[in-house]
Amino acid sequence: MSTYLTRRLTYMLLILFAASLLIFLLYALTPGDFVTSNIKLTAARKAELRELYGLNKPVLERYGIWIKNAFHGDFGFSLAQQKPVLTLFHDYIWNSFLLAATSTFFTWVFAVIIGVISAYKQYSWFDTLVMVFIFAAMSIPSFFIGLFLIKIFAVDLKWLPPGGMLTTGSNAVGMAYVREVLRHMTLPVAVMTLLGIGSLTRYFRSNMIDVIKQDFIRTARAKGMTERTVLYRHALRNALLPAITLVGFELPGLFGGSLIIEKIFNWPGIGQLYMQSFSVRDYPLLMGFTMLIAVLTVIGTLLSDILYHVADPRVKL
Amino acid sequence: MVHSACAHISAIDRFIGVRQSQRLGGKHKPGRIGELGQHRGLRQRCAFGQCGSRRRSAANGLIQAADLSKLPETAKKRTDTVIVGLTDPSGAFTPYFTQSGYDGNVNSLLFTPLVTVDNKGVPIPALAEKWEISPDQLTYTFHLRKNAKFSDSTPVTADDVAFTWTILHDKAYDGDTDFSLVKVKGGQAYKDGKATSVEGIKIIDPETISVTLEQVNATALLYLGGEVLPKAYYGKDYKQGNLDTLKSLVTKPLGNGPYKLEKFIPGQEVRFVANENYYAGKPKIEHFIYKTTDGDTWQFIETGEQDFGGFSATQDNIDKLKKLGFLNIQPYIANNYGYIQFNHEHDALKDKRVRQALTYGLDRKTIYVDSNQGAAQVANIPASPVSWSYTEDGINPYNYDPVKAKALLDEAGWKVGASGIREKDGKKLTLHFIGSKKKTTDVLIAVAKENYAAIGVDFQPEQFADFNAQIAKYDSGDFDLVAFSTSLLTDPADGVVDFVNGNVNGYDNPKVKELYNKAIATTDIEQRKAIYKELYQVINDDLPYLFTSYNKSVYGYNGRIAGIEVNPSRGIAVSLPNWTLDPVK
Amino acid sequence: MSTIPATGRTEADRRSSARKRPSLWRQSLRRLMKNKLAVSGLVFLAFMFLICFLGPLFSPYADNKINTTIMNHAPYAKHWLGTDLLGRDVLTRLLQAGRISLTVGITSMLLSVFIGSLLGAIAGYYRGVVDQVILRFADLLLTVPNLPILFIFGALLSEWKVPTEYRMYMVMLMLSFVGWPGLARLIRGQMLSLREREFMQAATVLGLRDRRKLVHHLLPNLFPLIIVVATLNIGGAILSESVLSFFGLGVMPPTPTWGNMIDAANTIIDFEKHPWLWIPPGVSIFLTVIAINIFGDGLRDVLDPKQKK
Repeated sequence: MSTYLTRRLTYMLLILFAASLLIFLLYALTPGDFVTSNIKLTAARKAELRELYGLNKPVLERYGIWIKNAFHGDFGFSLAQQKPVLTLFHDYIWNSFLLAATSTFFTWVFAVIIGVISAYKQYSWFDTLVMVFIFAAMSIPSFFIGLFLIKIFAVDLKWLPPGGMLTTGSNAVGMAYVREVLRHMTLPVAVMTLLGIGSLTRYFRSNMIDVIKQDFIRTARAKGMTERTVLYRHALRNALLPAITLVGFELPGLFGGSLIIEKIFNWPGIGQLYMQSFSVRDYPLLMGFTMLIAVLTVIGTLLSDILYHVADPRVKL
Repeated sequence: MVHSACAHISAIDRFIGVRQSQRLGGKHKPGRIGELGQHRGLRQRCAFGQCGSRRRSAANGLIQAADLSKLPETAKKRTDTVIVGLTDPSGAFTPYFTQSGYDGNVNSLLFTPLVTVDNKGVPIPALAEKWEISPDQLTYTFHLRKNAKFSDSTPVTADDVAFTWTILHDKAYDGDTDFSLVKVKGGQAYKDGKATSVEGIKIIDPETISVTLEQVNATALLYLGGEVLPKAYYGKDYKQGNLDTLKSLVTKPLGNGPYKLEKFIPGQEVRFVANENYYAGKPKIEHFIYKTTDGDTWQFIETGEQDFGGFSATQDNIDKLKKLGFLNIQPYIANNYGYIQFNHEHDALKDKRVRQALTYGLDRKTIYVDSNQGAAQVANIPASPVSWSYTEDGINPYNYDPVKAKALLDEAGWKVGASGIREKDGKKLTLHFIGSKKKTTDVLIAVAKENYAAIGVDFQPEQFADFNAQIAKYDSGDFDLVAFSTSLLTDPADGVVDFVNGNVNGYDNPKVKELYNKAIATTDIEQRKAIYKELYQVINDDLPYLFTSYNKSVYGYNGRIAGIEVNPSRGIAVSLPNWTLDPVK
Repeated sequence: MSTIPATGRTEADRRSSARKRPSLWRQSLRRLMKNKLAVSGLVFLAFMFLICFLGPLFSPYADNKINTTIMNHAPYAKHWLGTDLLGRDVLTRLLQAGRISLTVGITSMLLSVFIGSLLGAIAGYYRGVVDQVILRFADLLLTVPNLPILFIFGALLSEWKVPTEYRMYMVMLMLSFVGWPGLARLIRGQMLSLREREFMQAATVLGLRDRRKLVHHLLPNLFPLIIVVATLNIGGAILSESVLSFFGLGVMPPTPTWGNMIDAANTIIDFEKHPWLWIPPGVSIFLTVIAINIFGDGLRDVLDPKQKK
């Protein structure tokens, strides 16, 4: 195991290194740079600014500067917001994490329950209803569901706030603060869960169906075990175990933010920040954020692979 | 989500007369933001001209709220706070050092400039009590008010003004304000490091400061009359060439505007509290909040979490605002204009007749007005109806006339070929259009394709992923037509400067240049008006641009608030200290 | 007791050759036909294709001419689904849009599924160096953000003066090339456990060649997963075209797609006041996704060797 880990870690570092270069090149080659879109500036001033920001140096040299600083933990200053990149992350990323973590949790819980039950009752009306619902959730664009729920629950019924993380002008602290955030979180989490639940439910249902049809289940039933034992102790475990590997893939999603949800619900998350930074080509921030997600992705895949071995010991690492 | 260089709109208010000041020049301060944002990252807002007359409306088009009792509870409960929407303040809350137009909105509340402009764009005193311009128009002397103080109650002195002007010449200054255009004497030397101070700046006494320019420039007044930064706070460790300490204070501003910064919640709100040291007296409303919201969002206004929002003046929007009942509705038109730029290096477009044909041949009314439910007005000159230089005298409206367009093209030698596309000397009349991804561009492309095909022009559109990518393509010169809007114009010269400084590829008209220079060589508004009339007539005939539209918008705001006026160039900052929140009856 | 006949082939051999390709497929087809739900899905899809590709030929509004007198008109006799903001017939545009959305959705899904399954299967089966290379490459692609790639590709297409009608297809192609890692990993995962099963050990013992093992034994067991993922992706693929439109990399106006028709109504006003603008494309995507998934489910049930129905 330890040799496997060391080998994987070396690969990870190599990949991150290669990825950082590739990503840096991608951003640098995207048409337009930070100075381009400010049409008020004269060409001379634009040239001056490019020199000031170091944007006129050759790409590889700029990459070299960036990676050198990155090794020292200095991810630079955001060009657009004149603040250190890491500070900016800190301001926004936990908001996104809050939404993502909660909705991922609920997505998994509901997907397992619904998927298993509908697999067990394959072809029943419950199953059909579930399938229809899943497809609906997957074929409707996210902003629709968002706008729709806001209209119904926030504007018409006034049960929930229309957006934002806190009510405007609120000075709540402590428990009152927590309660306010929870109230504001409800709709966004609901939408995110609805959107994510479809594919996961289908996946669990499919797995469960496969497992139930297998011989060892038939044996268990023949042995006279109660249906509950058959279901929980034998079928469920075998159906869910492969899904454990999906956990690793959720890791980068937890910190990636969701642009559309954040825009609709006015949630101060990192998805919006990324999109704005991209529009103005705020390179330090773009690089910092993308590399963060890259790191989480490779860690996630490592986690997945290890969990797969745990789930199915026949699979050698 | 896609940004464009559209600029922002503010209210027209004909009640505010033009206040005459001693020597006038209209000058624009670059980067002035109207409400809800400007240039980078700004979505266009539309203005509202003719309101439906179902409601009693004031001369400026204001429609009073019909039924204040419909005001949502959340809004009723507020007694000392006003909440206005703003698209995305980023936190850089010191003037001259922001990169985003929205931060400029925040700064306009935190800092007061020496000279501001009234609703027509005429300069009026703000922090400076008065100013004089020398007979040779090279020296400006500003007299500060005696009671001008920063929010920490230290007085605003000439030292602070000198400090502000000086750092704007610093080599390390990377902000938007380009002081090199003002040509202050000794400014370039300071920038190059050859001098340790700017020669042209002279402090006469703590309340008086003068500055000398190298060249007469009617636009200089508003540059020089910008916001003042406190030297003691921002200039603490300032050394020539090093702005780092200053930059670290950008997010912790110390200003002299009507409000002080109370708290900034990134991505959510910017909270302000009234500044008791404001020179014109403490503002009547104690708390002010800029709430981060996206442009056309309704849910916050509908539920009462927002008091003031701007919307496109489509009939649907106006109906919806009226239905809510508790909002005052104020129409306005932006001080900017939309246009399609010709690439005058393209052979066909060099010919004035072709440009005129293309203008006659495009149904601008359908594109900008009808399909937009009335939220715009067709434009024919480079000035907005709210500007003092606007005129329709002798201006050809270029009403949609495909017959005339065809005649002009025939006259110019472009004859219809076998494929239905016009040809001349073996070349086809193909026009390559680049645009960004916006709803209005979509409509423009759809209609233009049809219109131009009908007159034998092959219209080839291309859309770009975002504004930045579009500009990159534009910079490369590989286009024939491109659609843009100008940023907010303060002085009429802003609207025509691109025709003389070479920014319009291949366009060079000596008559336009002559009139432009004439217009900025004097500071007398009546004289300039006449010159601009002539200039607009020349431009209207020569068509360096295909002028498209003036956007109309509406502001909807809580009927309890009185005293709101939105200045086309300065936004709400000018009238904000006088806003009052009437108690709920 | 079986005797060994003169030809050297045993009873078992004959039986296995009887189970060769044609008869398996024919059997599956017969079983598929019995599954009414799957058949209805297929029929609906066929219907969808037909009306989208042929329908506009019968419409008087197929030229998308702009008619400013009837903008945003609710459905009535002359326009069964109403008109959009430029007075164009929604029904005709819906069908025209279907052409593009269906083609694009299915092609890009097929492409990414093909690449993903192939690479995933190879990686999972051969392990060792091949596995590592493919995996690392997949990891690398996973970390690269899509947005700059889209923009750069768009700029390149503009530089190379590719006609705007073809750009969308190229971008979808490019997205499929970049989007396979996720699927590949799933397939690889499944392959990893499959190859350890007893029936694979038996195949090895029998001395079957790799190709036979892969194609005849492993692939059929992978089909269920592949089909599930493929059908799941269709909805996403159709919608991702609208994301591309959002970035100007999709079709040029006035060409409609289901995605950009829905997008045109993403303001609250359109949402509330002009439902005929977004309900038809939304319902079209929804029904198409359901049909494909139902059909896919039926297909999966039929092709799954473990099914004993």
